[in-house]
Amino acid sequence: MNRFWNLPLRTKVTSIYILANFLILIVNLFLIVGINNMSREIEMVYQDNRQLNEMSEALNSVQDNMTAYLNSKTSDSLEEYYRSDQIFDSMVQELNGDITDRTFDRMERNIKSMAASYLDTVRQTIEAKRGRNVEKYRVRYELATQQYNYISSYLTALNQVQFKNNSENYNEMASKFRTFEQIGMLVVFVVVAGNVLIIISLVKRIMKPLGDLATTAEYVAEGNFDARMVEVDSKDEVGVVTDAFNKMIISIKDYIEKLRQSMEAERELKEKELTMEAHLKDAQLKYLQAQINPHFLFNTLNAGAQLAMMEGADRTYEYVQTVADFFRYNVKKQDMPVTIADEVNLVDNYIRILNVRFSGDIHYEKNVDEKLLNTMMPSMILQPIVENCVNHGIREMGDKGVIWLKVFRQDNEVCISIKDNGKGMSAETIENIMNGTLSVDRKKGDSNGIGMDNVIARTRIFTGDDESVKIISEGEDRGTEIIIFLPIDE
Amino acid sequence: MDDKKRKEQLNIDEKRSDKTRGNGLLIASVVLTIITMILVLVFYQSYMKSFREDNNVNKYDQYYVMISSDRKSEFMQNVYKGAFEAGLKNGIYVDLLGDDLPGEYTKYDLMRIAIDSGVDGIIIDADESAQMTQLLAEAARENIPVVTLLDDNTQGVRCSYVGIGGYDIGREYGVQVADIIKTLRREYFMTAEDAKEEDIATIDVAVLVNSFEPSTGQNIIISGIRETIEQTEQTGSKANVMLVPVDNSNAFSVEESIRDLFINGDVPRIIVCLDELSTVCVYQAVIDYNVVGEVNILGYYDSDTIINAINRGAVYCTVSVDTAQLGEYCVSALEEYNDFGATSQYFTADVTLINRSNVSSYIRKEEQNE
Repeated sequence: MNRFWNLPLRTKVTSIYILANFLILIVNLFLIVGINNMSREIEMVYQDNRQLNEMSEALNSVQDNMTAYLNSKTSDSLEEYYRSDQIFDSMVQELNGDITDRTFDRMERNIKSMAASYLDTVRQTIEAKRGRNVEKYRVRYELATQQYNYISSYLTALNQVQFKNNSENYNEMASKFRTFEQIGMLVVFVVVAGNVLIIISLVKRIMKPLGDLATTAEYVAEGNFDARMVEVDSKDEVGVVTDAFNKMIISIKDYIEKLRQSMEAERELKEKELTMEAHLKDAQLKYLQAQINPHFLFNTLNAGAQLAMMEGADRTYEYVQTVADFFRYNVKKQDMPVTIADEVNLVDNYIRILNVRFSGDIHYEKNVDEKLLNTMMPSMILQPIVENCVNHGIREMGDKGVIWLKVFRQDNEVCISIKDNGKGMSAETIENIMNGTLSVDRKKGDSNGIGMDNVIARTRIFTGDDESVKIISEGEDRGTEIIIFLPIDE
Repeated sequence: MDDKKRKEQLNIDEKRSDKTRGNGLLIASVVLTIITMILVLVFYQSYMKSFREDNNVNKYDQYYVMISSDRKSEFMQNVYKGAFEAGLKNGIYVDLLGDDLPGEYTKYDLMRIAIDSGVDGIIIDADESAQMTQLLAEAARENIPVVTLLDDNTQGVRCSYVGIGGYDIGREYGVQVADIIKTLRREYFMTAEDAKEEDIATIDVAVLVNSFEPSTGQNIIISGIRETIEQTEQTGSKANVMLVPVDNSNAFSVEESIRDLFINGDVPRIIVCLDELSTVCVYQAVIDYNVVGEVNILGYYDSDTIINAINRGAVYCTVSVDTAQLGEYCVSALEEYNDFGATSQYFTADVTLINRSNVSSYIRKEEQNE
């Protein structure tokens, strides 16, 4: 059986076809042989009657030829007589001599004996005629004629009995023939039904792996790589394809697993980096916090301011107060969005402090649309930009350095422009700043520790727009303008 | 959709378990088909075989034939039945010759046919004719033993005679005749006003005899009747026994002859019938001519008709012959002859007289036998 399943698909299908046809062929042959046999039997039913008729004719022929010879004594008639005698004798020999219950058997037996006796008498008659023994052949002839009549009527009677019996046989046979016909039909139906079952079963068996393969393939096609393997138990074409499919699934699964592992590794690496950065920031903050206790600083500065006021030094008082406000803002508002007004105020304070430090060298011009001052923005944006302008733009210009701050509306955006007339920047530097690739030593100088990269990143995150910060410089010594675009919240 | 796919996927596993079932179905189908074909083939073979061979055919070693000119009568049929059954027990088939032949043949024809057929034995209801004697001689030449039944051919060569004790039957009839005469005499003396011995008429006793075949059997019966009446006449009965010939030359002549007896007017008071057919014919004539009670019929054989007639009083008495015994004797005589070359020359079957006094017990006995 297993050998069959391992055959090629074409051979299997052909074998099934041949098997089915073979079974039907056998049934048909069997029916044809059966029907032939039966019809032959039926043909033979009246064979006995035909034989008896022939026998009657032969008997008549013997009697006629004998009479003819007795009449004419021609050698022709004698020859005829001998011939008919032989024919009749051979027929008589074939008769059945058994004594049985059946009337026709006993009649046949009697006919056989009587015919023998008759032929004997006829022979004696002919002999007597040839010997010209007139008296003897006359007596013999009469006896022969009497016997002839008896045999004739016996043959007629037997014919009748046989006919009756054969008619019964015929009827019985005809009914059996019909029964056989019905049984034949039944057998044909049973065999055809069996064939159909066999074909269905075999084809189902052959096609099943293909169906399984199709189902699994569809399942896999939808991205379910956890599909079960299709079982292969035949080595035909379907078996080969299924095997290949199974191997393919395993390969794909392996590949996906590897991909997943490498992505996982990358993700872990990035997470690590971020955590490192956060830790660093945290450390920096803690460092700064450790350096100054802001409350102590504010209280100290306030005390200084009050002292200056009591001594009547109004400008000192104002300065110290400004410094105090500046640092308070720095501490308070770092992680919350603030209004533009707050930020502008901080820039004002910052410039004021610097101008005290640098004896009013920095010219600061402010052009602000008051209506936009309540627009929200991230804190600590404008002051670091101004600090950059001062430190990198106009520090070395003495009292010629100017910083312009403008807040205005352009279309649906609030534009905050901070411009200086300082050293300017090269396009390369601008590019580097915008990409965040310019390395800056933050600890250097007297900044508040917030670099341009931080400002740009936070602004971009706040607005959700990479184009929200723009740096414009027309080249060396031609100044720099930094514009921030904020969405108007209406 | 996804669920459906998953289910189908799971089904693949379930289908796997169907595989063994599928194999089973395939093998079962093939086996079933083959078994059906084999069964039908076997059935067909036995069917045809049973048709070709007739299972109920028995073969016999010997073949005897029985010939009678009166073979269709119930009497002869019963004798044949007895012979047939006795034959079967010993592997002999006994045929009643002539039954299957078209046309009617005389017993001489049938005898010739039997001789030509080379049978193993012949039982014949013979007669004393020369033709019969000649045929018997011919049979003897062919070594075919012949038993004469009821009627003998004393001149012929036969191995045995089987019949009824004719003289005994004659005596029985004679006693019955005497009884009837006594009854009539008593009635005469009791009813006549002036009864004289001389006036008592002699009562006619008509004995119906076959005119065509001279029969020794009948002669013996008649002499038995005569002797008995002569003996009883000494006690005063007067009877005139006369032989009335009945033409039995052809099929219907018996009945016609008997009718003639009644038409002629002088109907005898007592009619003795010596065979079944004439008994029935006389009985019917007595009824038709309205002479029941006037004519006393002494019948022959115990057919249902005759027994019923006795029961009703239309027939005075009859003799019952053990027919089966007759047939049995015929077969055993032939068998003995074939086996040993000789047998007893003379067999007689038992005879019983039935009249009104014992008819009812006879009927009861017959019913029990049936």
